[in-house]
Amino acid sequence: MNRFDLLNKLQNILKDNLVICNIGLPSQELYKINDQPNFFYMLGSMGLSSSIGLGLSLSQNKHVISIDGDGSVLMNMNTLATIGNRAPSNYTLLIIDNGSYGSTGDQRTFTDEDTSLKAVAIGAGCKNVVECSGEETANELSKAIDDQDHSYVIISKINSGNVKIDPIPLNPITIRDRFRKFIGIVKYL
Amino acid sequence: MKISKKIIASLKEGGVDFYLSVPCKLLANMIDILEKDKDVYYSSVPREEEGMGICAGAYLGNKFPCIMMQNTGIGNSVNAIVSLLQLYQMPVVFLVSYRGTPGEPVGAQGGMAKITEDILQTLRIPMLHCSSENDLEKISTFSKHAKVIESPVAILCDFNLMKED
Repeated sequence: MNRFDLLNKLQNILKDNLVICNIGLPSQELYKINDQPNFFYMLGSMGLSSSIGLGLSLSQNKHVISIDGDGSVLMNMNTLATIGNRAPSNYTLLIIDNGSYGSTGDQRTFTDEDTSLKAVAIGAGCKNVVECSGEETANELSKAIDDQDHSYVIISKINSGNVKIDPIPLNPITIRDRFRKFIGIVKYL
Repeated sequence: MKISKKIIASLKEGGVDFYLSVPCKLLANMIDILEKDKDVYYSSVPREEEGMGICAGAYLGNKFPCIMMQNTGIGNSVNAIVSLLQLYQMPVVFLVSYRGTPGEPVGAQGGMAKITEDILQTLRIPMLHCSSENDLEKISTFSKHAKVIESPVAILCDFNLMKED
């Protein structure tokens, strides 16, 4: 199972939640599978999906899923400590760990060598850290959303590999405003 | 404490209700005030770039965020400022302790001080430079302006303004 297969399997869960999606192929694949106004596609700032989702979950009550990648988490590992100490129960960090920098040509990351993001997340203070296969991810994600009392970090171990895909045609202000309209902040659209 | 109280009161008057900091000695009093304030959210964060991401999320969730940091933190955050806050036009207030300005005892802070305003100018980030107590009166209007123009803005507080507080 690669990232596209996984996102395809998760689409029915994702569409009912606020989703912050990592830059590059993850966002492009999610857009192609089933675009929703409650999906915030990152067009820059690699590494910050986890942090954006954290800020969003601290600011309103709907459930937030940050879709991140192993390469991106490795770039911003300090935020796991912030999540471990501050994440509210409406927050889930879903790390799609395929052991490679998918958007830049599938170069190996350190999770394909000796680094365990599960161990890092636990060490950083995250309480409900689940590592699972791609097949198990939908079930684990549903459980995390249903648990009203705890935040979760789910590390979904899948194969590398990408599908051919186009850039997202939406401009950043469109992504921003339709997302905020969904939350109920923007009234003018 | 007087200066710090005034700065926080002005930010709150400007609508800022979500605060992060990467601590600095000159921000210590403001952090103390915010930790006791039940009306606003406050947390420390390990790194400024991450703080930019959390502020972006807070803005999406209808908060008006501020990140407090040393000027060195601007250097840590350039890509997040440009390809997140500016790309999506997100108002965030940077409350910056301006290390390396006159009165600074640590010589090594001078390096970032020399280029801080150049970086902010290059990034087209509006600046409010506070070197005396009178300048603090502009903070609330300046913060509101960030929302109007949908842009990050920076408030620079000189070393000598903050050191005796």
